[in-house]
Amino acid sequence: MGGAGGLLAHPHQHGIRSLIRVDNLLAAFAWVVVAFLIIYPLSFLVIDSFRVAGSDRFGLQNYRAFFSDAYYIGAFVKTFVLSGLVLLTTTVLGLPLAYILARYRLRGQTVFTALTILPIVLPAYAGAFAWVVFFGRFGTLNLLLMQWGIISRPINFISGLHGVVFMQAIHLLPFMVLSLLAAFTSIDPDLEEAAEVEGASGIRRFFTVTLPLCTPSYLAGAILVFLWPFTDWLTPMIFGVIDLLPSIAYINIAYHFTDVGRKYMGIVSVVLSSGVCVAAFLLLKAWVERKRYTGLSKGTTLGGRTIRPNPLVRVVSYLYMLFISALVLLIPIVLGLSGFSRRWVLTPFPQHWTLDNFRTIFTGATRLISNSFLFSGVALGIGVFFGLLMAYLIARTKALGRGGLEFVSTLMLVFPGVAVGVAYLTAFWHGIPLATHWMIMPLALFVRRMPYFQRMAHAAYQQLDPCLEEAAEVSGASKLRTFLTISLPLLLKGIFVGVIMFFIMAFQEISTAIFLYRGGWETLPVGLYLNWHRGMEFGFAAALSFMMVVIVFVMLMIAAKIGGGVLNVAWGSSGRGK
Amino acid sequence: MKSGKMLAVTCLFLLTLLGVAGAAQQKLGWVGPIYVELSESLKKGFQDYYLRTYGEPIEITFVRPGGWPVCVDRVRIWDGKPDADVFLGAGAPAHSVLASLGLTVPYVHAHWDMIPAEWHGMKAKDPEGYWSAFAPWLVSNMYNELVLRMYNVPPPRTWDDLLNPIYRGHIAMCLTYASGTMYEVVQIQLQTRGWRDGWAYLRYLAAQVGRWTTGSTDTTHNVTRGEYPIGIAQPQMNAMVARRDGYPVGNLVPDVTVLVPEAAALLAGAPNERNAKIFLDWLYSMEGQKYVLQGGYFVARTDISLRQWQAEGVTMASHAIAALGGADNFWAVDLDLLDYDLELATAQWDEVNNTFDREIYRKWEELKSTLSQIEAVELQIADAKAKGADVAAAEAKAAEARTLFEEGELATARTAVTEARALLRR
Repeated sequence: MGGAGGLLAHPHQHGIRSLIRVDNLLAAFAWVVVAFLIIYPLSFLVIDSFRVAGSDRFGLQNYRAFFSDAYYIGAFVKTFVLSGLVLLTTTVLGLPLAYILARYRLRGQTVFTALTILPIVLPAYAGAFAWVVFFGRFGTLNLLLMQWGIISRPINFISGLHGVVFMQAIHLLPFMVLSLLAAFTSIDPDLEEAAEVEGASGIRRFFTVTLPLCTPSYLAGAILVFLWPFTDWLTPMIFGVIDLLPSIAYINIAYHFTDVGRKYMGIVSVVLSSGVCVAAFLLLKAWVERKRYTGLSKGTTLGGRTIRPNPLVRVVSYLYMLFISALVLLIPIVLGLSGFSRRWVLTPFPQHWTLDNFRTIFTGATRLISNSFLFSGVALGIGVFFGLLMAYLIARTKALGRGGLEFVSTLMLVFPGVAVGVAYLTAFWHGIPLATHWMIMPLALFVRRMPYFQRMAHAAYQQLDPCLEEAAEVSGASKLRTFLTISLPLLLKGIFVGVIMFFIMAFQEISTAIFLYRGGWETLPVGLYLNWHRGMEFGFAAALSFMMVVIVFVMLMIAAKIGGGVLNVAWGSSGRGK
Repeated sequence: MKSGKMLAVTCLFLLTLLGVAGAAQQKLGWVGPIYVELSESLKKGFQDYYLRTYGEPIEITFVRPGGWPVCVDRVRIWDGKPDADVFLGAGAPAHSVLASLGLTVPYVHAHWDMIPAEWHGMKAKDPEGYWSAFAPWLVSNMYNELVLRMYNVPPPRTWDDLLNPIYRGHIAMCLTYASGTMYEVVQIQLQTRGWRDGWAYLRYLAAQVGRWTTGSTDTTHNVTRGEYPIGIAQPQMNAMVARRDGYPVGNLVPDVTVLVPEAAALLAGAPNERNAKIFLDWLYSMEGQKYVLQGGYFVARTDISLRQWQAEGVTMASHAIAALGGADNFWAVDLDLLDYDLELATAQWDEVNNTFDREIYRKWEELKSTLSQIEAVELQIADAKAKGADVAAAEAKAAEARTLFEEGELATARTAVTEARALLRR
């Protein structure tokens, strides 16, 4: 903060005035980009939701039709129920895990932490494919249980809503664990010790002191978990669940054919999902900020309080961490085995090994890989430039409208990908025909993933002492030169981590790309989806998934090496106790 | 100064990026619902042919957004400025819609006469030259023989067999608007049984379903993996390809079915029209048809002898012969097809899909519970009857409940069940 404020107090008033002008110009530029790539297309979507089917008139008919149809209301409610169940499951699974990782001194904690975070870089749909193979009616687990005589008929572990809850909970577990970790490690140990001195038992202390102090951080993770089911259309479809808002939106829009009414119900679903996401996000933001004023997170100690557990607790902790790690590791292992085999069905383990799936990828589907790298790379280039600009404007200036810029950009974190895809296709087909050029793909990726980078760049900026930049500017260096020679080198580490995370998140994006891709623009996730949906051999889709997992995992490891640990990479320093 | 240089470098970088897609080369674009195996086979075959014949390579792009309704919709969005040259795949309903909207244009390819005009009363090519079949197949069902054996039930042979309670919960079926093949299944029922009985049949069938899928391949995956051992609305060649790959699945051509003349057509305003025509000529040539077969589809020319191809070493020929029950050519298969009213089926698209959506799919749980209540009371009546009780009134009420169920009056049907139970207690 104090950057611009400090400068305003400086005697060189002329320089300051020009600086403010430049900042305002930069903010104006940022607003133009935001208006063109976010507000303009998304407003198309909202306006379209009011269009009367088969005419040029507008009205509330679509919303009226939506809310007078028990089916759509049911889907709306069911999505809320799913969100609640996923949140409950991640909380139940994540709370003990975060507590173990934060409080107990145990060997191998780093490895377990890394494994816990792995799902953040694994696309949820890739996990879903793997779980069908392992937990399916005639998947590995059921077949083994039948072979051992434990069951005579297969158990339905995953087909249905419970499977979606299970899968999404594992995928979102890192958000919960990282939030709680940040909370546990930022609680002032004196508060817990005081409770201990007053005679509170371990469990009582946990529920009356520790847990209430965690609430703001917990909610920050909880909101991301809660909103996910409003954005994920593919995982439910893989498990045979269709009647959820995002899946209905995707199916109604993609499959409406001659039935325009169906298309508008899809658009209304998208707009409502987005509305729920944005409203919940804003409510929570306001609540957490209000709580912070009360000083709950004040007086943090790096690392928090650690406890040496007794042998029983130690064994139980290890067993629990192993259980979670096994669930997470199952995904890459099953995908790998499927990718290196053919027709792995109705046997607990693969019988026919082959390199054909990977050979097909490297001979016939290299375009998927090169497109993914190209689009993510271009998006990254734009994202770094714009993200740095936004971070600078928000952290270092008092430029006009910077609060609004931060607000719009943060909203994109929770905006469903399907909404962006449909909005772009609607806004950029006729009139401004951007969707006919391949640049639409990286631009859409940029818009969706930029907030991840911006968060990290912002955090890096906050840790950088503004005096260094001020000193350079006072010595006569231009704004650009100060940035290139002083700020950028000092920001590099934080930025690099942001770069990798941006790339990983862009690389696995499917919800927007599936609407925007044209012949020859298919990315790895699009190819994966099409091969699952329009191909016969699962091994090829598994090989594509496995390759994607390997690529993003390698990138994560590189980022961890540079960024000082997996936790910092996955969550960014801004997420921990700030 | 430095800022100016940076700006210039940035502009150069952006221009380079924008130019990546613009390199001059021979191009061809396809859009359509055909499977990956076929598109890959055709791509390889045609690229070899093009290089051999014209001495230069050709780049092929393929837009495959989903089943045929989705593909047709994509072409409509293009609005006469298509992003492809050939509509590759889909049966007569899709092609008649495309032609009627002026989105395809007639092109009589070099081997037009080798494709039959019709088969058992169903069109295999358009008389005005808009489209012709290159990979015909029959609407079928599929089953996993290993899993059915484990459940100790025989494979169903007819549409009526599927209503046997032994298959309850074992069937995977697709949403009609997500699959053209599923739409054909619905039309088969409506056109053979009539509107009222057709919907009644579909209500019974829905009560048997264990899972709804979002595409015919989604169904195939569920059957091959054994998740649900019976799949409704399957292209006939899916089982052939799955068997070739070693999956324990069988194909069920039901007692009444229709032909899907998987066809190709030239798109109006095709940006690479010359190459599109060269491709269409090649697709229907003997060489092109071999690539169709190797891509896992049946072939359309009347002069093809699969046995001869088998002798020549075309690996898929033997699988095709087995899948066609020993026939030497697709058109030589001996069966009775439904006298299918294509125009009616096309005209009813929205009405039938919406009815299916509202009356069948959305009421799925209600259909299942209502039917099980009816069956339960019928069992009670049968028991009482066996014990010599007078059950005539209860029987009549239960029959009324069935009629109501068949007509979709589910709440009233359940009331009738309650009344039948009360009559039985008296």
